[in-house]
Amino acid sequence: MKKISRRTFVEGTSAGIVVAAAIPAVEAQQKQPPAVVTDPGVPRTAIRLNVNGVNRRVEVEDRWTLVELLRDHLNLTGTKIGCDRGECGACTVLVDGTPLYSCSQLAVWMDGRSIQTVEGLAKNGKLDPLQEAFIEHDAPQCGYCTSGQLMIAKALLMKNAHPTRDEVRTAMAGNLCRCSNYNHYVEAVMAAGGTAPSTGGGNA
Amino acid sequence: MTPLKTVGHATHRIDALQRVTGGAKYTNDIYLPGMLYARVLRSPHPHARIRKIDLTKALALPGVKAILTHENCDIVWNSGDQLGQRKLFNNPVRFAGDPVAAIAAANRHIAEDATHLIEVDYEVLPFLTDLEEALKPGAVPIHTGGNLSLNNQRQPQPQTYKRGNVADGLKAADRVFEDNFTSAHHNNAQLEIRASVAEWSGDKLTVHAATQGIANCRTDIARDLKIPVENIRVISEYMGGGFGNKNQNQDSDLMAAMLSKQAGAPVKLEFTRKEDFVAVHGRWSSRQAYKVGVKNDGTLTAIQMTALTGAGAYRKGSCDLSGTEIYQVPNLETSVSPVYTNTAVAANYRAPAYPQGVFGIESLMDDVAYALKMDPLEFRLKNMTRKFRDQTPYTSSGLEDCIRKGAEKFEWTKRWKPVPGSGAGPVKRGAGMAMGMFGSGLGRSSAVVRLDGQGQYYVHVGVTDVGTAAKTTMGLIAAEELGVPLEKVRVVWGDTDTCPYSVGESGSRTTVQTGMAVIEAVRDLKKQIADKGAPKGSEVLTAMATTNPQPLAGVSRNSFVAHFAEVEVNIETGHVIVTRFVAAHDSGRVVNPLTAQSQVQGGSIQGIGMALHEELLYDKRSGLPLNAGYYGARIMTHLDAPLVDVVWVETDEPYGPFGAKTLGEPTIIPTVAAVANAVHNAIGKRIKSLPITRDKVLGVLA
Repeated sequence: MKKISRRTFVEGTSAGIVVAAAIPAVEAQQKQPPAVVTDPGVPRTAIRLNVNGVNRRVEVEDRWTLVELLRDHLNLTGTKIGCDRGECGACTVLVDGTPLYSCSQLAVWMDGRSIQTVEGLAKNGKLDPLQEAFIEHDAPQCGYCTSGQLMIAKALLMKNAHPTRDEVRTAMAGNLCRCSNYNHYVEAVMAAGGTAPSTGGGNA
Repeated sequence: MTPLKTVGHATHRIDALQRVTGGAKYTNDIYLPGMLYARVLRSPHPHARIRKIDLTKALALPGVKAILTHENCDIVWNSGDQLGQRKLFNNPVRFAGDPVAAIAAANRHIAEDATHLIEVDYEVLPFLTDLEEALKPGAVPIHTGGNLSLNNQRQPQPQTYKRGNVADGLKAADRVFEDNFTSAHHNNAQLEIRASVAEWSGDKLTVHAATQGIANCRTDIARDLKIPVENIRVISEYMGGGFGNKNQNQDSDLMAAMLSKQAGAPVKLEFTRKEDFVAVHGRWSSRQAYKVGVKNDGTLTAIQMTALTGAGAYRKGSCDLSGTEIYQVPNLETSVSPVYTNTAVAANYRAPAYPQGVFGIESLMDDVAYALKMDPLEFRLKNMTRKFRDQTPYTSSGLEDCIRKGAEKFEWTKRWKPVPGSGAGPVKRGAGMAMGMFGSGLGRSSAVVRLDGQGQYYVHVGVTDVGTAAKTTMGLIAAEELGVPLEKVRVVWGDTDTCPYSVGESGSRTTVQTGMAVIEAVRDLKKQIADKGAPKGSEVLTAMATTNPQPLAGVSRNSFVAHFAEVEVNIETGHVIVTRFVAAHDSGRVVNPLTAQSQVQGGSIQGIGMALHEELLYDKRSGLPLNAGYYGARIMTHLDAPLVDVVWVETDEPYGPFGAKTLGEPTIIPTVAAVANAVHNAIGKRIKSLPITRDKVLGVLA
């Protein structure tokens, strides 16, 4: 059986495009990332990116995915790995405002880009209205898919401030919740968007 | 029922903030200094003997620190097989996915690369994927003693139950109905991937485990590794779902511990999503055959059920089948035979023995009702259980109210079609309902409560909170009994060093068992306060309780449920969607209506997925799984999920914490049958095998 490397696989399946952008000038004061031993024999690339408003310069192994970079090397474990193959949406983050599965993006492609994760939703100690609504409507059960649900909902509300129930369900279709708390997730997003949840709903 | 001050009011989870900010630390979020990463190499064959494993190339890869195989690691994983037949690494391997080696390396890429460098010489053996084939004379035995697994008495006989005399009951019937139903192996598929982090300090072992019960996980590890239980600490602060597949200890916990021991460094072992589908477990499949005797007025005279259940390659679960107990009938015989095949292991998944059994009996009872020209709802009201096994009174039963109030909310008379399949098409609508019940026994659990000089209460409970809001529930129960607001109560959980034994979040037992321990501990604390006065300054008062109520004599304690589904079936494409769903539940007093609603809506929607989508398929020629993963399983998405209306039937229950009964598992029990009955009502044809996929819909219509 031919061995396929992670990099070959992700490059072959993802539609990601590296966008040329101004390299951030300011270097961030980083927290010490978790100690993950890297491999000297593996190709590496220095990239600059903005994560939750902080400019960073990091040397990444070319085979790292974005979610590996966030979790293993930048201490941002709020973004979860549910499948690591683009099926579940638990790892959804915003890249330049666009929601993407971070398991299916290579870290090296993030040069010059801005990433927002769940840790970047609250501003100056104040929760995002979506986070407030998620608490109010008991959106997370086990909570493992919640970060992804929040980020896809954030992307939706940035484009469509007052979505209908069906617009919410369609936008969030790529984010699985096995606790299946879909009713409460949709209610929460509609409440955050200022749309009162209709009683009809569902597939009716 | 008297309203209470704290219990019974919709309350946000006490850890909601952590869950919406990314602050909640799940097992895979644990990073320890010097930690290694581990991966598992699994058998590519459904059945094979390992002649030789060559680790030379893998060990030569820089960064590889430890490798376990059956040759250097001979540990029985007792939770993986109730009969002790399963080791961490087995030879022969008995299913595609059986672990062959585990590798710890400096990072996960090296560990992954090393799995490709291990050379295994297999002698491929004949394999079985089909239950009936496995029982034929001459079939290759997967375990010594053959492919029929043992019953609860450890005899090579089916599990049986009998009351009355079925032959007499069938003779007394005006009509006898016979039919067969099958259900598929499908996966728990919780979002959290399986991970274990193990670290030794001398002879002391700490395991960060994704577990539904830290106390059981700890004693299981001690038993399997043969080390004193006091040398083990299990931590599970946040747990990303399990629905039964994170009960007890897991092989990943043991492998991480043994790799860590060999490497002399902390180890994080991660399973991939595919491994989770193939190599952990799912709900057991079933083949059910029924005979039902009935009088012309709809009175049941006999039920006989004979079933095979698919254990997979090992006996991890009870592999039992439930459902017939929801009917009142004087003559009942059931016989269930768990069967081994060389396929994924089957064990607990939310109400393990129920939704597939209820699908069978409730499908058949629906047909009986139609044949007698009775409304299926009236048929159930006539024949539903009124005493447990027709003998023991229930402590409380809201089943009739669940059916009546659920039907009213659902608008049954408007939506149900007296003539099935009579809609115009091509999109036909139909309605179906089904009922269920689940044991709500009381049993052993512990709690510690303390009060400090600043007036802060602490409740120590060994729960992990698998998503049910168990921590919040324990806080609410304590606050109610203390007569203080919830804010005054801090719940301490998820660590065997700081929390006493809790029953484990399986069998929907936490509220009813650990909740009782919390109440007892609080009562003791209140007595101490009355005797000694409230603590001041650095003083502290501590109380603990281990409650172990004896089984209730002469009564049975159960939760009841009725579900109602309306579907649309496109008879040109076979596509089914659920358009309306009502779930009526008697779980006694509802402790927290907000999180309880999440449970009911979630369980119902999971059940719709089981009814319409989910099956782990095997290729009969290769014995390999075909669709492991979320795309293949087609679990429910936002777009598939209907709005689930929840109706509470709060019976006045004399036992349990403030009259609360079991809730989490009943939420999925009648769902599958309700959807199946609705499909029948829409198209006028009965689909007798789960899941009800498009090909089957088109097949019965062809």
